Amino acid sequence: MAAVSEADFLLASRGVAKELGAWVAGAVFDRAGRLAFALADGTLHRHAEEGDWPVAVAHEGGLLSACADAKDGWLSGGDDGRLVRVAPDGMVTQIADYRGKWVDHVAAHEAGVRAAAVGKAVHVLGVAGAALKSLAHPSSPGGICFDAKGKRVAVSHYNGASLWFVGAKEDKPRLLEWKGSHHAIAFSPDGTHVVTAMQEPSLHGWRLADGQHMRMSGYPTKTKSLAFTARGRWLATSGAESVVLWPFFGGGPMGKAPTELAGGDEVMCSAVACHPQHEVVAAGFGDGLVLITEVASGKVVPVAPPRGSAVSALAWDAAGARLAFGTEAGFAGFVDLSRR
Amino acid sequence: MADTDTTAQVPVTVLTGYLGAGKTTLLNRILSENHGRRFAVVINEFGELGVDNDLVVDADEEVFEMNNGCICCTVRGDLIRIIGGLMRRKGRFDGIIVETTGLADPAPVAQTFFVDEDVKRATRLDAIVTVVDAKHLPARLKDSSEAQEQIAFADIIVLNKMDLVAPAEADEVERMIKAINPYAEIRRSTKSDVPLDAVIGRDAFNLARILEREPEFLSGEDHHEHDSEVNSVSFEVSRPIDAERFNAWISRLLQEKGQDLLRTKGILHYAGDRRRFAFQAVHMIADGDYIGEAKEGDPRRSKIVFIGRDLNRPQLRRGFEACQVDA
Ligand SMILES: [Zn+2]
Repeated sequence: MAAVSEADFLLASRGVAKELGAWVAGAVFDRAGRLAFALADGTLHRHAEEGDWPVAVAHEGGLLSACADAKDGWLSGGDDGRLVRVAPDGMVTQIADYRGKWVDHVAAHEAGVRAAAVGKAVHVLGVAGAALKSLAHPSSPGGICFDAKGKRVAVSHYNGASLWFVGAKEDKPRLLEWKGSHHAIAFSPDGTHVVTAMQEPSLHGWRLADGQHMRMSGYPTKTKSLAFTARGRWLATSGAESVVLWPFFGGGPMGKAPTELAGGDEVMCSAVACHPQHEVVAAGFGDGLVLITEVASGKVVPVAPPRGSAVSALAWDAAGARLAFGTEAGFAGFVDLSRR
Repeated sequence: MADTDTTAQVPVTVLTGYLGAGKTTLLNRILSENHGRRFAVVINEFGELGVDNDLVVDADEEVFEMNNGCICCTVRGDLIRIIGGLMRRKGRFDGIIVETTGLADPAPVAQTFFVDEDVKRATRLDAIVTVVDAKHLPARLKDSSEAQEQIAFADIIVLNKMDLVAPAEADEVERMIKAINPYAEIRRSTKSDVPLDAVIGRDAFNLARILEREPEFLSGEDHHEHDSEVNSVSFEVSRPIDAERFNAWISRLLQEKGQDLLRTKGILHYAGDRRRFAFQAVHMIADGDYIGEAKEGDPRRSKIVFIGRDLNRPQLRRGFEACQVDA
């Protein structure tokens, strides 16, 4: 991107960005498309068209994870042991207090279910805040995610992942085994595959129909961000000097080479986010560069110039019109791609 | 405008020691002393801390094997997770202290700081501090490999409960410690009353300081009765080292004997290079880099130290000597 001038980045013509002053743990659009940035200092900054962005103090300590809440607003977990909801108007409500334990990961689904990883357990809660169940794991979860319908929750941990039916009467997980420590986790949109990122820089996938293992390796660093494209044909991943995409069609990804896009700057990709409709992937890099790339053509559109700090959060809104990003140093913003 | 620098590494002190040796007393002392420094403290679930002004994280030790299938290649998964979380809010503390459970093998903790890329980038291992009970250590060394390992890994040993032993007993305990690890610095104490500077900010894993301490080797070390299976040996050679020969030898040695080699440290003078090469390993996991040039006129001798089990002294000596350039 060295030859691109500041004015060529979409941020200059179609974006807004601010210094928020702390590590951006999440750029999160709620179910109604409201944007907020969740910061590691425990605050949540809601984007406002005019004036200052209102700040809600969600946690007394650090905020570890944030997501869109089931219906509207945001959900966050912190090292103060609390699971918290921030309403669209900024009102903060404590949903649960797991004293002394970190709430490492949170997830929610519009079907009306929430999940929080605390210690070695994943607590499942309803929208009214009632604790529905507590799912036990052999080690602390490295990541959690719901399937597209909100019926199953997948939890990564040491030596594999556990797959739970949220509504099951008897809680017995399907154990997806693979030796090693598993972190970031993703469900394919059609619910047929689960993929995790591992401590040894590689990915592991399971085809749920027959338990077929899929190994995807060759990364120079750990993958921390992975996402399937809208119809699940590609898995986009961070961890290399380009956006690495694995084909989940035509017999892949086994035995197929991944496609690499937007490489060449010798800076590691640190975050990816897939467009909700098109085969278009947004990527953030270790120097703060944000770009959008089209899978079919490999064409790259620059979004935000590098400022020195790694992109730590990246998200599209549900319409695929806005792309929000944030960095470890607390620079956060979004671009609006809709026609004017 | 560029983002502010977020690259400074936070020092981490690892505190090990048997239950009842005085580890928690030392930790409380560090935290309650009026030194103006703030610490994030990772404790195990049985820890009891009387101080609440610092950031305390309660963690279960989760030891994970790495994917090479070797039982000594392990890391602390909980530490990777916790340090990842802490590092997002670096401004809150000046250092991290990790307390291990009494029976813990220190290797997974140490290896975490060599293996995990995020932990490596954000932190540096400052020192492993082992608190031992002067009265009960001899018995512990006889019946527990963990107690030996905690001594073997230590950079600083707090020889505690000095009020409970006679001077001759204390000397004997020191002799036993030095037989395992002559490179550790021993600080005698009562109720863990050592100065903060003795245990914090030691930079013991800095390659440039790796063999700074010249141990007082025990006379006749080869002949005395071994109190424990863990021992140390060191060798010095005077001709320059052939880098290729050394790399081939040490990688094979760590691969084959790494499970028994707890810590390895070396300072090497490569042929045709004025700089010194410093080297250290925990079991099979090695780290090395060039450090400054030797002082003008200093002898260009290379040295290597092994602390481990079943060390075959003649074989190791021959191996190291064969790494020299031909005479
Ligand atoms: Zn090993």
